[in-house]
Amino acid sequence: MSEIEQNQTPPSEGQEEPRIAVYTCYCGGNISEVVDCEKVAEAVSKLPNVVISRTDMSMCSDAGQALIEQDIKEHGVNRVIVGACAPSLHETTFRGAVTRAGLNPYLYHHVGIREQDSWVHHNDPEGASEKAIRLLSAGIAKSRMLEPLESIKLDAEKHALIIGGGVAGLRAALDIARRGIKASLIEKTPFIGGRMAQLETTFPVDEPAREALGGLIDRVVEHPNITIYTQAELVGLHGYVGDFHATIRQDQRGVSEDIADAAMAACEIEVPDEFNYGLTTRKVIYRAYDGCYPSTPAVDWANCPDGRLELTLDGKPVVLENRPETIDLTVGAIVVATGFDLYEPREGEYGYGILPEVITLPQFIRLLALNGDAPLEWNGRRVKNIAAIHCVGSREVDGIHEPHEDGSLNEYCSRICCSALLHTLNVVKDRYPDINVYDAYEDIRTYGRGHEDLYIKASHQAVRFLRFHNEERPTVNRENGDQPLLTLNDYLTWGEEIEVPVDLVVLAVGVKPRAIDDIISMLKISKGSDSFLAEVHPKLRPVETAVPGIVLAGTAQGPMNIQESSAAASAAAAKVSVLLGTGEVELEPFVAVVNHDLCDGTGACVEVCCYEDAIALETVTVNGAEVQRAVVTPANCVGCGVCVSACPNLAIDVQGWTLAQYEAMIDAIVGELPTLEAAR
Amino acid sequence: MSKRVDPGLLNELKQFGDVPIEACFNCGNCTAVCPLSTDETPFPRNNIRRIQVGLKEDILHSPDPWLCYYCGDCSATCPREAEPAEAQMTLRRWLTAQYDWTGLGRLFYTSPAWEVISVLITAVLVVLAFIVFHGPMVTGQVELNTFAPVDMIHLLDWVMAGLLSFFLLTNVARMHHFIIRKGTDAQVPLVLYITEAWQLAYNFVTQERFSKCDEKRPWINHLILVSGYVTMLVLILFLLPWFQTDNIYPFWHPQRWVGYYATIALIYGAGAALWGRFKKIRQMHRFSHLSDWLFPILLLIGAVTGILVHLFRYLGLPLATYTIYVIHLSMMVPMLVIEVPFGKWAHLAYRPLAIYFQRVKELAVEQQARKERLASSGA
Repeated sequence: MSEIEQNQTPPSEGQEEPRIAVYTCYCGGNISEVVDCEKVAEAVSKLPNVVISRTDMSMCSDAGQALIEQDIKEHGVNRVIVGACAPSLHETTFRGAVTRAGLNPYLYHHVGIREQDSWVHHNDPEGASEKAIRLLSAGIAKSRMLEPLESIKLDAEKHALIIGGGVAGLRAALDIARRGIKASLIEKTPFIGGRMAQLETTFPVDEPAREALGGLIDRVVEHPNITIYTQAELVGLHGYVGDFHATIRQDQRGVSEDIADAAMAACEIEVPDEFNYGLTTRKVIYRAYDGCYPSTPAVDWANCPDGRLELTLDGKPVVLENRPETIDLTVGAIVVATGFDLYEPREGEYGYGILPEVITLPQFIRLLALNGDAPLEWNGRRVKNIAAIHCVGSREVDGIHEPHEDGSLNEYCSRICCSALLHTLNVVKDRYPDINVYDAYEDIRTYGRGHEDLYIKASHQAVRFLRFHNEERPTVNRENGDQPLLTLNDYLTWGEEIEVPVDLVVLAVGVKPRAIDDIISMLKISKGSDSFLAEVHPKLRPVETAVPGIVLAGTAQGPMNIQESSAAASAAAAKVSVLLGTGEVELEPFVAVVNHDLCDGTGACVEVCCYEDAIALETVTVNGAEVQRAVVTPANCVGCGVCVSACPNLAIDVQGWTLAQYEAMIDAIVGELPTLEAAR
Repeated sequence: MSKRVDPGLLNELKQFGDVPIEACFNCGNCTAVCPLSTDETPFPRNNIRRIQVGLKEDILHSPDPWLCYYCGDCSATCPREAEPAEAQMTLRRWLTAQYDWTGLGRLFYTSPAWEVISVLITAVLVVLAFIVFHGPMVTGQVELNTFAPVDMIHLLDWVMAGLLSFFLLTNVARMHHFIIRKGTDAQVPLVLYITEAWQLAYNFVTQERFSKCDEKRPWINHLILVSGYVTMLVLILFLLPWFQTDNIYPFWHPQRWVGYYATIALIYGAGAALWGRFKKIRQMHRFSHLSDWLFPILLLIGAVTGILVHLFRYLGLPLATYTIYVIHLSMMVPMLVIEVPFGKWAHLAYRPLAIYFQRVKELAVEQQARKERLASSGA
């Protein structure tokens, strides 16, 4: 005990004596089944300044939080420590409890003894208990030195930038605008609406997709707070939450409404129509579909030779040229709604690219839409038998699937394809009851509300389900110019190898992360291991990125159906609204601070800093002399601490995590501590 | 070896019985609860699955539908209400049509109009034949054998039996071809057919397999019906001069008692079947195809008219006797002509044959496996 007292840093002058309350949480057994919480609590109770040491089944519960508040009010506690789950889960919860009791929230310190202890040391209860004591002791050592901090407040531009004009972007824009915040929506293509416009009907309620989308587009277009920029891309970004400066490049539409139809008629260049996934062609002056927004046709500059288009209108030659404009926007927050790409099967994957009878599900959906109620023909033949294959380009397994060019595998489930495929097969059976439909799957994951009904309906409509194992995937081949054959070992038919003669094979292709590395690097956001955009916390902060003020909406973040995309977009809009609603944003105070008494302007910190405009040398006047000193822009600093390590004068510290605090924690961890034995 | 499916099979089968086979999601409850299903011969899921997928040949080569006696436990427990038991019934109709090489079976099963009209035409032909060829109608007293000389009728019985046997036996040969020739790769030695032949007779007489269903009543009813039917068949084919006589035997005479037994058994058996179907008493009665009605109705009419012939003769009503006799034959002949080789009657042959073929096939496979084991251990 005496040694510990010697090691203890005395409270700084003028600061009240620390009165620390330590709570060791059972976490409903998650911790207590390994760590002997009672003994840990007893051991740390003997440490200096600890006035209360308690255990509880669940500190995050209302009762647990009330206990903290009560102890602060009744026992004069001025420092609080909870040993529980990871701080990412409940640090803010307990800061809230501390604040409610009238204490500065940064006088709370969180110690992780679940993820960092009980879960990883479940085979060594005694060691785990000792580790909990050491971790808590370190926390107590830091706690003694904590000082009240204030969060950083910045002025925020009440204006959001939404990248992407699909259903998620539109939904987010509308929700933000309706809360009185300006929304600028940029869309790369000439028309808004995204992939939903390509669908005939949506599942699970069989609603016409264009009607639902059209209603949303109308409201977005009509809303005075929303500005839409089509053929527009983000080309530059700097600044920070509340004050981002975005540079947008916008192409010319190319034709005005009055000459649009004549120009379309005069245009002779045809290209595959991506709206129909190449099933049809379109001109390079085009509308995506009837009733699209904006209704004025646009010139597809990328498919014009040299970016110019020469036409003859009324016998006169006309040259259309693209003169892109640059638009600068100052926005407080950014919503990333860039959407997804579709998996393109490899040549030969289930016969794709070799047999014309093999097409993708999105192509098939367009084929049905173009076909209407006419008899279904494909490749010059009346379609009588259709086979569909699930999980194409999804749930790929190392050793079974060939890696993609970049060495990756799409190991994830694309989530939307099962329900989308079954919905489409139901459309087929409704429209063409005589067509025989076979559905080859590995698993059917109709996980959503009402989605299982799609499977049941398909089953009752005599869609024949065939089940294969991942390592024995089906093949599609043609024998002697006849019909193609789908061959597989069907595990519902006790593994029999069966051949199905088919006229059309539909591949339920998966969802791929979109190639938006330019946007990712401009925004400094990160990707998950699946290359979709990563959120901060999958459960508790599911639409926020690690960069304050940048949020995610929709399938940029991972496979989602329309419902989920809309929900995510609304969540993103809610986050933006909370952030910008007051015209002020609040940041955590854990940023670098420079002690100008010690700084002598070496600039070492500026050299090592990884963040733009976070720290810079500025001319200041010290004792009448103009000198260079490091100055931190708190909004741009993430508190990583690299500058602290670089400074030769120890002039920089990160608030709330100072060098002195670290030293005290390390001393406590390595020092001699009250062990379990001692506690007994 | 991969098997080519026939995507049209499901729709084809629907013509033989409109059951929601597509609703099945292959859980296998039906096979698990079936009291007749064994590890070696599991059903009915396998055939349901074959229908769904379109494995037509596999079904054609399978005796399984004949091994099911429609207790209906599977349908009662099916979580998808896919009616597996009725699917087996449907398969029996389909198989009957498949075994039949003339195509008439398919026609009668898939077209109620064809079936009813064929019965009626045959009945009319019988009546016409009597109008043209009948003997003198003695009106003073009942002389049935003058109106319809028993030797002539007996001869015609045998001609008809010969003709129908020809069709039935050729169909049986096809059944054998499908189940044994195509249904196994094993060589079936002739001796097995002989040593196992008792199975055929035993199962024909006892319908023992039916008795393994949990509820015994349907088996007993069926046993009574078959006993009456077989008795009557023996009387008509082999003992007609003894049976169709203008003599009036005393009450205790076996001719009368054998006849009465057969009649009562037929009326009870066919009546129970019809009443069950009418009231949908058991699982097996819930779906009724036309052929399920027609066969017992004709049997019942045959039995009732038969006993009326007897009654009118005893009452000394000559014209009534001759008329009811013509009606009797005009029902019995179409019943036999339409139903024996082409319809539901054929199950009398196919059910015991299926058990017999299945047994022979199993033994042959066993023997072959044993031989192969010996050969490999010897090597």
